[in-house]
Amino acid sequence: MAASQGNSESYGPLTPAMFHVLLALADDDLHGYAIFKEVDLRTGGKVQLSTGTLYGIIKRLLADGLIAELRTRPAAAQDDERRRYYRLTTRGREVAAAEAERMNEMVSIAKAKNLLKKLRTA
Amino acid sequence: MTRETSWAARSYRALLRLLPFDFRSDYGPEMELVFREQRKDAERHGGIMGGLRLWWETILGIFRTAPGEHLAMFGQDARFALRMMRKNPGFTLAAVMTLGLGIGANSAIFSVVNAVLLKPLPYAHGDRLVLVQQQAPKMGLLDQPFSVQEINDYRTQNHSLDALVEYHNMNFILLGRSEPERVETGVVSWNYFEVFGVTPLFGRNFRPEDEVIGAPAVLMLSYEYWIRSFGGDPTVVGKTFKMNDRLHTVVGVLPPVPQYPDENDVYMPTSACPFRSAPDFIANRRSRMMNVFARMKPGVDVRQAQADLSGVAANLQKAYPDVYPSTVDYSVHTNTLQEQLTHNARPTMLVLLGAAGFVLLIACANVANLNLARMVRRERELAVRAALGAGRVRMFRQLLTESFLLAVIGGGLGLLFSWGVLNLLVTLAARFTPRAREIHLDATVLLFTLGIAVIASLLSGTAPALASRDTVVGSLKEGSGQSTVGKVRQRMRSLLIVTQVAVSFLLLIGAGLMLRSFLNLQHVDAGFQPENVLTMGIGLDFTKYNTGDKTRAFFESLLEKISAQNGVRSAAASMMIPLAGSMRMSNDFQIEGLAPVPGQSLPVADFRVVSPSYFDALHIPILEGRGFTRSDRPGVPDVAILSRTAAYRFWGAQDPVGKRFSTDGGKTWAQIVGVVGDVKQYGLDKNPADEIYVSMAQNPISDSILVVKTAGEPMSVASQIIELIHEMDPNQPAARVRSMDQVRAESVAGPRLTSNLLGLFASLALTIAATGIGGVMALAVSQRKREIGVRMAIGARPGEILRMILGQGMGLVMLGVALGLFGALALTRLLRGLLFEVQPTDPLTFVGVATVLAAAAFAACYIPARRAAHVDPMIALRSE
Repeated sequence: MAASQGNSESYGPLTPAMFHVLLALADDDLHGYAIFKEVDLRTGGKVQLSTGTLYGIIKRLLADGLIAELRTRPAAAQDDERRRYYRLTTRGREVAAAEAERMNEMVSIAKAKNLLKKLRTA
Repeated sequence: MTRETSWAARSYRALLRLLPFDFRSDYGPEMELVFREQRKDAERHGGIMGGLRLWWETILGIFRTAPGEHLAMFGQDARFALRMMRKNPGFTLAAVMTLGLGIGANSAIFSVVNAVLLKPLPYAHGDRLVLVQQQAPKMGLLDQPFSVQEINDYRTQNHSLDALVEYHNMNFILLGRSEPERVETGVVSWNYFEVFGVTPLFGRNFRPEDEVIGAPAVLMLSYEYWIRSFGGDPTVVGKTFKMNDRLHTVVGVLPPVPQYPDENDVYMPTSACPFRSAPDFIANRRSRMMNVFARMKPGVDVRQAQADLSGVAANLQKAYPDVYPSTVDYSVHTNTLQEQLTHNARPTMLVLLGAAGFVLLIACANVANLNLARMVRRERELAVRAALGAGRVRMFRQLLTESFLLAVIGGGLGLLFSWGVLNLLVTLAARFTPRAREIHLDATVLLFTLGIAVIASLLSGTAPALASRDTVVGSLKEGSGQSTVGKVRQRMRSLLIVTQVAVSFLLLIGAGLMLRSFLNLQHVDAGFQPENVLTMGIGLDFTKYNTGDKTRAFFESLLEKISAQNGVRSAAASMMIPLAGSMRMSNDFQIEGLAPVPGQSLPVADFRVVSPSYFDALHIPILEGRGFTRSDRPGVPDVAILSRTAAYRFWGAQDPVGKRFSTDGGKTWAQIVGVVGDVKQYGLDKNPADEIYVSMAQNPISDSILVVKTAGEPMSVASQIIELIHEMDPNQPAARVRSMDQVRAESVAGPRLTSNLLGLFASLALTIAATGIGGVMALAVSQRKREIGVRMAIGARPGEILRMILGQGMGLVMLGVALGLFGALALTRLLRGLLFEVQPTDPLTFVGVATVLAAAAFAACYIPARRAAHVDPMIALRSE
């Protein structure tokens, strides 16, 4: 675990948008539009990915092996052949977890310095 | 599935085209689908505004994503291309070298064109600087200097100039260093450098009080002199040196700027020049010695300045009709300094740039051919890639990336090449313009090189990339198309060969014409024999040698001592020597017995002051009468000798010997005692001028050039002569010690360097083209091995095969020569201005070049043809 943790940590910086896409795929396999909707829903519309940004991220995550394209597709009646479905890989999950851990540590530091309180009262 | 055809879908698809082809192929359809759903959502929840916001964000998103994706794609292609290049080191080396030479030739010449022709002058407000010249065409004067009176009039009467400044050049002796030094001195108005926008590197500029007559004498050092003589020591400012019997204080050092019209060592204000500040000189409207530069007021153009100054010229004509008689057609001419500094260089530079462009074209054609040949070996790879789904655009892009990398590496090599030849180019440019020092490989040259590399990659990569489409189509259609594909490529290769031959022919013709022209110049009879003649400038310190008697005594004694030296045949002195500059002393004169006709100008000739042995030392033939002798001295009637052209022009069929003329309106008369052969004084390509030689003893001068005829190598007596000079006067330096052969060679250095460079380009072109032809023919032979085998099996003899292959190769060559011939007939006219006694359509050059080219091409075709003739039919047939 320690080794894989190390690997995940050594992955280059995740942009917030990339992290959102990984988070969106954490529960379920999704197609592009569903990822967009999931991110939109979870952030209350604060983060809206454009198609160019979303597919640029998907291409990068695929190439880095953080997500994979699914070969199995829904039944023909519910399927659109243009749609492609994506799943978080084990490595992707580790990288996302490492990123979440990193953020958690930063939030802890911020709390210790009473920054969060200040922010709330502000 | 149907494709949505709404305007929104079509617009979105158009937007997607900004992304790389591969990206579009992978994600385009799904992105369209997602965008449609996003749009529905946005319009449902946010109405029109929601829709607009989505569009805005989508457009931004694509624009943000596209550059990175293109770069990533390029990186991928580049990595693959580098792998391919490593796999074919022979091809890579040949292509990189060829492109390197082609690009290097262009970068190198462009560095000159950029510095000399394109960059603004390195003076503040350089675009407002003009040169003003007085002209009297009927007296043969197109650049008459100004007198102080004239300068004052033009300065006060003009309305278009900010400032008008004067300049003239003198040689003075500078004392106070370890040895006396003869320094080229620019004598200028106090605000001369201010007008040119030049601020001293150290010290201060001249000030108005420096120019007041009697003010303490001050000096400004030129950058080159400061580096050369003072090792760049800034503490020289404030030091004093003795010049013209006065102490001069160095007040500043100039930055490195082009000096025009002369490269001076030091500058002084007009008040410090003893000639310029003499009251008689200042008062005399006809005492002309100075050049005039001016800065136009902001917004004034050169035509307006010309019109304004022409008005002043008309005023002067009205006010002083005796000085500016209507018969001489007096006028004033204004030219921009930029034009003045570059007009000599422009034709040569543009011809060389054109030639370099042609070399690049040949290099690109050659690399395209190498690429095409390589396609044969890459057919399988390309077919496999196509089968794996690489589209046409993708393959095209891959092949262009390979070409681009080759061109960029070639460009790097080319820059190294340019850097290597930079000094040679500076030497070349210095023959034509004082701006040569500004030539550097700067950012503009680097950008130009990159641009050229991109063009080269397109030129050399497009043909093979286009052919790749046919290759792929052909390879995939099993058993069919191969021969068609082969034919398409063969035709493309043939076309490239024809292009290379045609362009090489053009370049060879250009080089051939320049070479012929240069040889013509070399063989011009200059009217004197330069062999074994030493020349050396001597400018006497006029404060010490302040009378005619003293200068005469010095030179007579010196010449006598030199003549007595071992190895010296004769020694003379002259005001000027042939082929060493354009300075002339023109004067009008009156022929005895021909009273001046009102309304008609007097005859004008160039006067030269020479000592008795001058004609002997230079072997100038005495055609009639006699040369000067030691008895032609003051106290006896003045004597003169005419050049043949002058004798014929002014005295026609009459014998001029014994006739007289006057240069002072009849107060004194000089008698003609002889006629000598014509001498090309101002250039081997110029006609001899009308010349009148006068005796140095009767017209003593302090600034002259020694002309010493020696028995052997002339430079070997130079130190001996300098010692003699120092014996007579330890403070007397000698300058510009050169043999007359050197003087003559330097006078044609420009044409020689130009023809050398064009020759270099042409030989490069010939080599590239010949190896290209050889390579293509070798490939053709190896591809036709089976066909040749069949021919031989059914009875063709080796000689017939040899002729067939040679015929095919030479057919292309002849077509190229024919096209090149038409091109040359159209283009060599542009060379006319650079040619001397050779027509741009010189038949000898055309035939000679065609023969050389055909012979080189024949040799290149012969090797593969011979191999074809020696094909063993059995092996050839079995190999398929």
